[in-house]
Amino acid sequence: MSDLFDLPFEDDPGGVEEPEPKGPLPTRRVFTVTELTVRVRDLLEERFFEVWVEGELSGVRLWNTGHLYFTLKDSSSLLKGLMFRSALRYLKFKPADGMRVVARGKISVYEPKGEYQIVCEHLEPQGLGALQLAFEQLKKRLQAEGLFDVAKKRPLPALPRKIGVVTSLDGAAIRDILKVLRRRYKNVHVVIRPTKVQGDGAAAEIAHGIRQIVTVPHVDVVIVGRGGGSMEDLWAFNEEPVARAISISPIPVISAVGHESDVTIADLVADLRAPTPSAAAELVVARKDDFSHRINRLHERLVSCAYARVQRLSRRVHELSGRRALAGYTTRVAMTQRRVDELTRRLEACELGRRLAKNRTALVAMDAKLHRLVAARAQRSGARLSAMAGRLDTLSPLAVLARGYAVCWNEDRTRAIRDAAVLSRGDTVHVTLSRGSIAAKVSDIE
Amino acid sequence: MSKAVDNTIKDFEAAIAELESVVRKLEEGGDLPLEESLKLYERGVTLSKFCHAKLEAAERKIELLNERGDLRPAPAGLAGDEPDR
Repeated sequence: MSDLFDLPFEDDPGGVEEPEPKGPLPTRRVFTVTELTVRVRDLLEERFFEVWVEGELSGVRLWNTGHLYFTLKDSSSLLKGLMFRSALRYLKFKPADGMRVVARGKISVYEPKGEYQIVCEHLEPQGLGALQLAFEQLKKRLQAEGLFDVAKKRPLPALPRKIGVVTSLDGAAIRDILKVLRRRYKNVHVVIRPTKVQGDGAAAEIAHGIRQIVTVPHVDVVIVGRGGGSMEDLWAFNEEPVARAISISPIPVISAVGHESDVTIADLVADLRAPTPSAAAELVVARKDDFSHRINRLHERLVSCAYARVQRLSRRVHELSGRRALAGYTTRVAMTQRRVDELTRRLEACELGRRLAKNRTALVAMDAKLHRLVAARAQRSGARLSAMAGRLDTLSPLAVLARGYAVCWNEDRTRAIRDAAVLSRGDTVHVTLSRGSIAAKVSDIE
Repeated sequence: MSKAVDNTIKDFEAAIAELESVVRKLEEGGDLPLEESLKLYERGVTLSKFCHAKLEAAERKIELLNERGDLRPAPAGLAGDEPDR
């Protein structure tokens, strides 16, 4: 049988010519190269129908046919290998030179070259699991592209008009999210885009769902996620399409995948990572709590400012009423009093209504204080004030104004004009009406 | 509440920022003329009302978005009309 090996078993590298099976040796059983090669192939395929072999990948090339060619080697031998596109499809990681792998497949012969090779059905990285490796690879690539940059993370909206959720309707995640939202705030508007969250096509569905939900008007934030599961279950959230969809979203995306310990690519790309779906919902409404608190505080400060102002004004009323001897001040007392009343009225008009009990209470309390203040003022001023008030009633034009009369003042408002003769054409006068006053120019004197 | 007033407010966050500045002005500007501080106060109340209205504005609604981009109300069970467990 050793004679067989006299035949040119090894092809010229790069040689493509068909071996020509002819030879003038009729007494011996002479194979053509093809015949022999086929025999060898059958033998190998039968004997090594399914083998596992470990080695280091080198010369990895993806052909435009979609098939992958590579060499597996160890310290002293090498084995050619190929993986058809149909098998390659299921590979989560990307084979690369230098990677240590375990290949499963059958040994076959590539007849045109007379080379035996492993036709690989499955490839898995040694050491790291295939998924883990795929994760690391994608992570590295996206990181290099800057998809995880902290500078890219956007703050959550102060007050999302609508909250988008991309997840499965069957999972625990959606129920957890809705439960938290229901407990914390009755009045949320949620838009859910149901998708598969595991298995074939899940990543594409999630990615499409994200791209779609961000276009719904008034959706200001999106929660993307699912409940806990194995690494395989969570895998869709480690796939590139999901990462890309999150990264190009025009609105902030909160990822909420599995449990606290599960970190996915989606978590790394998202603007905010919530440890669980419930936590994502809490994060959204916590902002609302913050704001509610801040506004209440501001409102309290606002009211106390106004209250302080009213107090100061009120003190001024006392001062003025104590100096009634000064000519012309009685009117100003009355007018200041009117301004206090006006302020009170406007404060009352600004009352927040039934919306927030807290603020209403504050305002009502302030209002009551104001009234007490005015009453106290009246008491303290006592008889003197009431005497003055009596005189004001008769002297003050204000009571008259209410009936439609007006008071005409000189330009400086120091004197009331009683005689048209003191005015000249073109003079400016002020006319006090029952409500407000106007400035007027004298156009004629009659 | 007057709708016209709300046109002067850009959005919720702008309203809070302005409210903060109004309150600060009022607190620091003890000598502001009465009219001015009254105006500030009223502006402040308008802003505060606006913010509260925004906080409370949304109505509870749960909708489903399908792959064609259509929105429809979520089934009652999902929307949480069932009692909490």
